[in-house]
Amino acid sequence: MKLCEFLRPASLPAAYGQLRDLGPRGMILAGGTALHFMQDHTPVTAVDITRLGLSGIRAEDGGYVIGATTPLADIQRYRAPRWAMHEICRRIATHQIRNVSTIGGNIARVFPWADMPVALLAMDASMRIYAGPEAPEETPSADEYFAEQPARRFLGGKILTSVRVPALLAHEGYGSVKVVRTAAAFSMVTVAAVLKLDPASGAIRAARVAAGSAIPFPRRLPEVEDALLGKEPNEALFLEAASKADAPWRGKEGMTAEYSKHLAEVSIADALADAARHALERAE
Amino acid sequence: MMNQTAPQPAVTFTLNGETRTFATRPDEKLLDLLRRNGYRGTKFGCGQGTCGACTVIMDGRAIYACLLYSMQAEGRDIRTIEGAGTLDKPSEFQQELIDGGAVQCGYCIPGMVMSATALMEAESTYPDELVKEYMDGNLCRCTGYEKIWDALRRVLDRREAAAKKG
Ligand SMILES: Cc1cc2nc3c(=O)[nH]c(=O)nc-3n(C[C@H](O)[C@H](O)[C@H](O)COP(=O)(O)OP(=O)(O)OC[C@H]3O[C@@H](n4cnc5c(N)ncnc54)[C@H](O)[C@@H]3O)c2cc1C
Ligand code: FES
Ligand code: FES
Repeated sequence: MKLCEFLRPASLPAAYGQLRDLGPRGMILAGGTALHFMQDHTPVTAVDITRLGLSGIRAEDGGYVIGATTPLADIQRYRAPRWAMHEICRRIATHQIRNVSTIGGNIARVFPWADMPVALLAMDASMRIYAGPEAPEETPSADEYFAEQPARRFLGGKILTSVRVPALLAHEGYGSVKVVRTAAAFSMVTVAAVLKLDPASGAIRAARVAAGSAIPFPRRLPEVEDALLGKEPNEALFLEAASKADAPWRGKEGMTAEYSKHLAEVSIADALADAARHALERAE
Repeated sequence: MMNQTAPQPAVTFTLNGETRTFATRPDEKLLDLLRRNGYRGTKFGCGQGTCGACTVIMDGRAIYACLLYSMQAEGRDIRTIEGAGTLDKPSEFQQELIDGGAVQCGYCIPGMVMSATALMEAESTYPDELVKEYMDGNLCRCTGYEKIWDALRRVLDRREAAAKKG
């Protein structure tokens, strides 16, 4: 991308109007940190959406609403009783990038190695999308939203305005594993899981497991989830369930596909163990 | 419509306490604008957000000037190494770096100083984990970090002790 013009709309409808008028020449700009991953030099007009009041985190019945232009650093710092989104943010890039990169930018155009989509899939988040002054807001679930490259949704001027993450309930736990070569590197594999345990029997009642980076696009792993349901949570089960993952693991950066698969499976098992431990701690 | 999309060739922000207006281009990075205007203390290392040599402070937070478009700085408060200390009057951390022999080629140091400044201004206690979090985006190819870390730790320990005394 080559920025040829730079606009700072003062309201959401104004930003939408500008993007509509610009058509393919227009590009939403949030933190701008992902632009150098888009190597083409197409001339674009940047529409800066960081001054529209879309930043900040608030509790809303049963969940948390994270504004699309909230920097990852703010999510990392936020603490609340039934909240776990800070964990993954600490492990994304470096302090200086987290201060500028927004959650919206991380999930509006998804790169294979992105960590946030995996966390949001496990968390059963939903997105809020502004579709113009006349149209109703769109509220796709994470499953719908990440079913294909989300950037396609935004070609017509629509703007992601917030992400809603449900509060973790009693007996629910979140766990995640990001495998990296060095602390600030992109993930070799990134995994997140939410488990809900039955308070009486301790068996697994519900499971959401997602993975990214060692596959072309982040996704849920339904075969792993199915293998967990109704079972007693323990390490052997986690490894067995992880081995059921039916994903196109691929080799890269010196890793063979087989190695990726192995790395993914042990990471899934570790994330599940983490989730189960937290679920046991969360009695109410 | 024409008016709305007219090019905006200038950007205004506070630079080390002074309101300044600079001519720029929409595709210019803040780092290039700064260096072009004589603020050469901020270094160009990798140009892709991995080394920290270009660290400046925007609205109290450490950021990479090599990734930020200059136009994004409109109305913001920007501080660079030129505002941190001078040759005659180095900042406390800069003096510790000198005294501790913590500087080899020196290329990473302005960025280290700016990240440490952001840390000291935002936090009141400095556990190691937190310090690492603030400093994790600054690489040094020469020193092996230990002397830089020790110099910073001395400053932070003093600040913590002073805060305890009240
Ligand atoms: C050195 C480096 C290391 C990194 N490491 C990691 C990592 O380990 N894990 C990880 O997950 N990420 C990593 N990132 C990616 C980083 O998290 C993304 O660059 C960032 O989240 C993008 O956010 P942004 O606000 O800068 O988006 P921008 O760069 O402004 O935008 C990115 C894309 O999304 C679109 N967009 C932005 N906001 C919206 C919106 N609200 N609605 C619709 N479209 C929108 C833009 O048009 C653009 O196409 C790294 C980045 C760098 C530079
Ligand atoms: S020059 Fe900006 S991070 Fe390296
Ligand atoms: S002293 Fe040379 S890079 Fe740090």
